[in-house]
Amino acid sequence: MKELVCIVCPNGCVMTVNSDGQSITVTGNKCPKGEQFAYAEETNPTRTICSTVKTAFPYAPVLPVRVSAEIPKNRIFDVMCEINKVVLRQPIACGDAVITNVLSLGVDIIATSNILKQSS
Amino acid sequence: MTNTDVIVIGGGPAGLAAAIAAKKAGAEVLLIEREARLGGILKQCIHDGFGLVRFGEKLSGPEYAERFIQKFDEANIEALTLTFVTKIEKTPEGIRLTAVNRNGVVQLLSKALVLATGCRERTAKQIFIHGTRPSGIFTAGTAQHFINLLGQMPTKKCVILGSGDIGLIMARRITLEGGKVVGVYEAKSTPSGLTRNIYQCLYDYDIPLYLSKTVTRVFGDDRLAAVEVCSVDENMRPIEETFEIVECDSLILSVGLIPENELAENLGVELDPRTKGPVCDEHLMTSVDGVFSCGNALHVNDLVDYVSESGECAGKAAANFLRRERTEIELIIGKNVQYLIPQRLDLNAEDLKTVLYFRSREVLQKNSLILTVDGCDVYRKWFSVLRPPEMERVEFDFGPLGLTPQSQVYFRIEEVERT
Amino acid sequence: MSKYQKICKKIAQLSPEVSVKEERGCIVLRGEVDSWETAVNAGKLAAKDAQYIGVVNDIRLKGFVEHPRLPLEHDASLDEMRPDVLIIGGGITGCAIARELSKWKLNTVLVEKGPDVAYGQSRANGGVVHVGINFSKHSQKHYYNIRGNSMYAELSKQLDVPFEQKGQVLLCCKKWERLLVGALKLHGKSMGIRGVCWLGREELLKHEPCAPDFVIGGMYMPTGGITSPMEMTAALAENASANGVRLFLNTAVLDMETKNGHIVSVDTNRGRLYPKLVINAAGVYSDKIAEMAGDRTFTIHPRRGTDIITDKKAGYMVKTSMEKSPFSILPYQNSQIPRGPLGRIKFMMNILHSNTKGIGLIHSIHGNMLIGPNAIETPDREDTATRREEVEEIIKVQQHVATDLKFSDIIAYFTGVRSATYEEDFVVRRGIFTDNIIEAAGIQSPGVTAAPAIAVDISKWAVEALSSNMAVKKNDSFDPVRHAPPRLAHMNEQERNALILKNPDYGVIICRCEEISKGEILDALNSPLCVPTLDGIKRRLRPGMGRCQGGFCSPLVMQIIAEHEGIPLSEVKKSSVESVVTFGETKGAAV
Repeated sequence: MKELVCIVCPNGCVMTVNSDGQSITVTGNKCPKGEQFAYAEETNPTRTICSTVKTAFPYAPVLPVRVSAEIPKNRIFDVMCEINKVVLRQPIACGDAVITNVLSLGVDIIATSNILKQSS
Repeated sequence: MTNTDVIVIGGGPAGLAAAIAAKKAGAEVLLIEREARLGGILKQCIHDGFGLVRFGEKLSGPEYAERFIQKFDEANIEALTLTFVTKIEKTPEGIRLTAVNRNGVVQLLSKALVLATGCRERTAKQIFIHGTRPSGIFTAGTAQHFINLLGQMPTKKCVILGSGDIGLIMARRITLEGGKVVGVYEAKSTPSGLTRNIYQCLYDYDIPLYLSKTVTRVFGDDRLAAVEVCSVDENMRPIEETFEIVECDSLILSVGLIPENELAENLGVELDPRTKGPVCDEHLMTSVDGVFSCGNALHVNDLVDYVSESGECAGKAAANFLRRERTEIELIIGKNVQYLIPQRLDLNAEDLKTVLYFRSREVLQKNSLILTVDGCDVYRKWFSVLRPPEMERVEFDFGPLGLTPQSQVYFRIEEVERT
Repeated sequence: MSKYQKICKKIAQLSPEVSVKEERGCIVLRGEVDSWETAVNAGKLAAKDAQYIGVVNDIRLKGFVEHPRLPLEHDASLDEMRPDVLIIGGGITGCAIARELSKWKLNTVLVEKGPDVAYGQSRANGGVVHVGINFSKHSQKHYYNIRGNSMYAELSKQLDVPFEQKGQVLLCCKKWERLLVGALKLHGKSMGIRGVCWLGREELLKHEPCAPDFVIGGMYMPTGGITSPMEMTAALAENASANGVRLFLNTAVLDMETKNGHIVSVDTNRGRLYPKLVINAAGVYSDKIAEMAGDRTFTIHPRRGTDIITDKKAGYMVKTSMEKSPFSILPYQNSQIPRGPLGRIKFMMNILHSNTKGIGLIHSIHGNMLIGPNAIETPDREDTATRREEVEEIIKVQQHVATDLKFSDIIAYFTGVRSATYEEDFVVRRGIFTDNIIEAAGIQSPGVTAAPAIAVDISKWAVEALSSNMAVKKNDSFDPVRHAPPRLAHMNEQERNALILKNPDYGVIICRCEEISKGEILDALNSPLCVPTLDGIKRRLRPGMGRCQGGFCSPLVMQIIAEHEGIPLSEVKKSSVESVVTFGETKGAAV
């Protein structure tokens, strides 16, 4: 039995998770998302990461990006390494992919700002 | 002189929402923003978690802002960017503003004004940190500006003081960029930020959180070399024998936000010492007729969704602003309530459906918000837990209560059985 | 028993570790003690006998090692220079001397060890242009203060530096204090201080509407004024520089070679100079410089002082600069007064001599309220770190006078170190044991007021001294006028509009608290004495001195500096070379 705080929404439900190796039971969650989260934490914890990539544009030396879907928690720093390699030389828009299928995780790194498009 | 119905000062989430709502309500709107781009502080809040309430999605700050900027553009609202308001006066013709930008000094006149001026961060001196004056002491927002907008690393190894959300977010951000966060120190016995941020920003990255501990002094002649930390007693006073020195190159402060209301004060707007924002009625009109307040200038919010909501309320009301007498009664707060917005109710309003924002004074389990009118309970809402960092919102229609100027309207939080 | 023997006896009682000698007309103390208080008290005892030129106190504190902060720059840019005059120290005194000397056709060089002018006492100063009523009639402090005070209005106009003369006020709480204040007034009159008068409460409120209820009246001294020591020092330096003086920052004097009472050469971190004449305006290090030159007759015992700055919103609490009269007992102290007459006398003496004596409230030239300073002895000449207990004490005491004052009004505080001598007076004189030095040493309060007058005398002596070996001519092209760059927030709308039309950068506000534009920052970067650092800009224009303390504007100011200087952002420093702000680019570049 262990205690887990749900990070899906600002409610931050404190949940109790029972795992006997076969099945997982969750209590204390206010919504089904909590149960999903607890289940994922027990089997394959995932997280979102947000960062920036370098650009060649002096007015915006970095452009904010995030992963298009959650990635395994233990791959966060591997993905950061990939993000750190990028230098954008063309203006792209909010939602455009900066890296597709990063590290074959089935997830893209997408731009989250329009600054390059707006200023170009 | 430009003459318009509604002027909105501030192009962050509150101002954008206010301008869009005012325009939708049929007003001619002008938005004034001192920076080059709209979006306010969201431009540098690149982490996700914005918009869950409003859009049911976890957006990053710039994405959340982008949705409003798009609507703003579609609505064809005029914006003066890189424009700084230097003076506001109330005149018989309306509210007169003086601003400067690259074209010179601009004079503007408006029937109504929405102040969406946001907030600023408390500084090291305001929390009485002593010692030398080296470089390397940043507020979390300034560190965020360096990292997320300028791509510059302000630290390799830092101590974070204060467990406010921006501090927690920055702990994770610095770690992702290869910096080391030695620890987050919080003088209070409970964290100031959202619980989920403690987990996903600190514990996920093995960053320790020290409660009831604070930073008292800094060392270093040029760049910061170390800080002195210590435990504090229940009165927040340092305990002598607990002093220790922690080596680091930066001290990052997340010790609170203060609504920016210098312009409001110049207009004679009455401020609430509890929120540090204007005292408002249910339409978020301040004590000065025709002047409205919203977002973090009104009170410091923890979720941008409610910032936008208050902007919409203020914007719409500003568009519909007609000069008329107000009959106001005080919404009195009592036991366990840190603050409540609005602080007043204008009984002359057509509609008394009101959105109430409040915070509890301390962490409370299984408590209810209770509203009494002239001593009689008229409303109760049960909460499994109330935490001061997490603002609560309830909607309530005062219309059916038949309030009179003599009514005593009183809110308190008390432990009562769930009904 | 001779006076000397009495002093020896008293000092022996204080500490057996201290030796007392008479050397070259000075009284010299040596030894090593466990507490700094002992060392200072020994110096004070030695100063009681005025027959000596001065006290040379070389008592060391056990375990304390001085570590002067020296610039990291090392080059030969000043090597082999042979100036007529070398001024050591770029505080207000050194810069005033430099400007005064620029009226003459001389090769004058000023060196300052800090990264900017006004980097020592002149920066940690409240800016009061003193009346000087409490100085002794025969002191140099009085002599130069009264002359300096009368020069300020004209000088400020010439140099385009803000100056206000709203007077100084001494507050009184009890009727009998009026008698003592009367005596002070007579003393002032005998020293030539004009216009001092007693004001009853009603009259006083016209000058100080927020004087607390228990104040029955006070002494009003109209000659008191307020300046900006930083702006004045920078203006003096700029004007000196425009008139031919060369200024070198980050340049420290490390040693001197002397021969038969004559300075031959001066070593700095930027080479060896051979000046004809040296002027010592080295502030807290002025006794060290005098020692190098073989002319030391005095000792600096550093005395810390902390000032507190409030938000401009609290600036209304004081209009002039006011303090309680040195005799007054505030209501909160009433309960502390002992019963017996002896106890009472002792209590009064304590009040007169307490460390907080002199703490007052000042309406700064920029509209903030300044509270302080206190006075704490320290062995460390550069101990400018602030301390919690001191700041809290100052606030608590002053809350009795500024009754509206709240902790949340405070936006900053800072500590400076005064260069006090044991004689508690300036050492402004020609060299005694060295023929080519002039001392402008031991200048603490009222140094800001006195500096212009000190400069007049020193410049006269310098010209006299040099004239024996060379023909010193007037600098016919000397221009006394310096124009400050425009400050748009202080202008009316028409003026402001016209300037923005000429230069749109004046319309881009960078510092929101103090309303400073990009154009003004660029002006400062293009000024004759450009210091392209965050502090260099902040000290000239005040971005970062407002309520947000630079949180919003510092990244923007750094960008403007980087662009102007053509350097990467990470090369823009806070102040000194090592005070880096950012470590370079993110994305792993920093690690």
